[in-house]
Amino acid sequence: MHADPAPGTQALAAPVARESIRGSRPRRPWGSIVMFLGPALCFYFAFIIYPVLVTFFNSFHLLRQDLGLSYEFVGLQHFKEILGSDEVFWRAARNSLTWAVVAPIVDMPLALTLAFVLHSKVPFAKFFRTVWFTPLLMSYPVVGVIWLWVYNYDWGMANLVLRAIGLGAYAEAWLANPVTALPALILVTTWMFTGFHMVILLTAMHTIPQEYLEAAWVDGAGPWHRAFHIIIPLLRPTIVNLIILDFIGKMKQFALVWVMTRGGPMRGTETVATYVIKRAFEWKTLDLGYPSAIAVIWFVIIFGLSFGLTRFLQRKEALEF
Amino acid sequence: MLQRRLTKAILMLPVLVYTAFSAGPFLWTAVMSLRTTDEIYKSHYGLPIPAHWGKFYTAWTEFGYSTYFRNSAIVAGTAVIIITVVGAMAGYGFARKRFAFPLREPLFLMLFLSVMFPPQIMILSLFQILIKYGLFNTLPGVILVYAATELPITIYLLRAFFAQIPQEMEEAARIDGCTDWSMFWRVMFPMALPAVATTFILNFIYFWNEFLYAVIFITKQEIRTLPLAIQFLVSDQYQDIGMLATGLMIASLPVLLMYLFLSEWFVKGMTAGAVKG
Repeated sequence: MHADPAPGTQALAAPVARESIRGSRPRRPWGSIVMFLGPALCFYFAFIIYPVLVTFFNSFHLLRQDLGLSYEFVGLQHFKEILGSDEVFWRAARNSLTWAVVAPIVDMPLALTLAFVLHSKVPFAKFFRTVWFTPLLMSYPVVGVIWLWVYNYDWGMANLVLRAIGLGAYAEAWLANPVTALPALILVTTWMFTGFHMVILLTAMHTIPQEYLEAAWVDGAGPWHRAFHIIIPLLRPTIVNLIILDFIGKMKQFALVWVMTRGGPMRGTETVATYVIKRAFEWKTLDLGYPSAIAVIWFVIIFGLSFGLTRFLQRKEALEF
Repeated sequence: MLQRRLTKAILMLPVLVYTAFSAGPFLWTAVMSLRTTDEIYKSHYGLPIPAHWGKFYTAWTEFGYSTYFRNSAIVAGTAVIIITVVGAMAGYGFARKRFAFPLREPLFLMLFLSVMFPPQIMILSLFQILIKYGLFNTLPGVILVYAATELPITIYLLRAFFAQIPQEMEEAARIDGCTDWSMFWRVMFPMALPAVATTFILNFIYFWNEFLYAVIFITKQEIRTLPLAIQFLVSDQYQDIGMLATGLMIASLPVLLMYLFLSEWFVKGMTAGAVKG
């Protein structure tokens, strides 16, 4: 940058002479623009945009880690292989999508129910809100270890509860069974995120003008009617937002799987994110190009589905009003 | 009256069931953190009598938690300071018409869209880049990546706040001879403190708990952060449940204690990004 100790003053003083020539438009304070936006944009381009471009570039190459990361151009070969014959990828994609679709379907009604209950002024509402929000504040490894214990066959809480209510026959080694492992992990994210969704929905409910609810009450609307015909339609934008955030978050799921099951048993909990990392660092291929191609495909799918979902949910909203 | 009470009682039922579900696993872990592994294997749901507070000291000194804690504090602390300063300046730069330039709005849109980027689209090439510049397996490398990945959402939130502050404040200060730089730090930044504090807390929790980048970019034991350390301890010392539970509490307590005292700020911060719309 230039030597001027105070670029702002320069920016103010300089235009005076030129303004009379060029008309009323003041000159841009470039010094200040660079000062305020420069550091952030440098960071952003160096650590986000540039790596994204490199990943796209890598996805057309073979990039062997054992050969000093030397490049060999292979064109669309990785993409053909992934989409055409990589069964692990399709299994992982199905698991990730299941997670992304099931989680909002479970979380939202639960969060809405809890928000309605707290909204109807039960005692200690603030205490409950505080407790329900807490799981989100712990890291995935911490949550993962706690839930490894909860799902322990012999002494875990899950089976303890089942045995206590007489359903001991349904006790299960939840994470060792390929059928139950994924649902078990989805329940953990429900545990983490429902309180968070509830808090947001409750905040939104409090912004609904009291007159609406009173008017409905005068008209003789019962609590069910109020919930489904007044509150939920008014909360729709918030709900749509939360569903999309939840969907995207689950499409990226990595950490919980990595700590709890590593994708097993029999790839029953493999997600696209864990597969990318395994393929890059654990497979003997030692190639960074192939997993980059998976990342590119998944990136496109996440963007496509998120936009599609946004439009779909918002159009419905437009139809209703 | 009786009917009202009955309704309340019925409403309380799901609340209590959900509270048991929500708090149960953590309370159980908290209790185990004060019991020895032998006691736990005798009875998994016993009470911590007597409470072994010394386990926290043992974990801290003998199981390396002091090192991991220090690493986490360095990483989260430095990254959050960088991102707060850089993000606030950029949020202000994007908020004011005065700083407009031809590509600014498309740039901001791109920044906003990158909130959605899955980390996998960057992580492998970041690995390659960090190696190239000697930042792989170093705390500065992790700090830079952390600060960069949370930058878009931080700028987005702070821009919205700066845009709400009326321009008259700045014009008055400018007439008094303030430069853009000193005006920002003396007038605008202090006015934005509520929003800045919100993003500060949000980012601090995120960095404290981050796992994916850490697992790829750190392979040396002495620079492991807490989440990473726990992942290793759970496979190395799987049997030692008591000590692990203590470690989980050490890893979670800083954020949980902050939450206890600043719960309103937390809720505000963590919901700020989502209520829009």
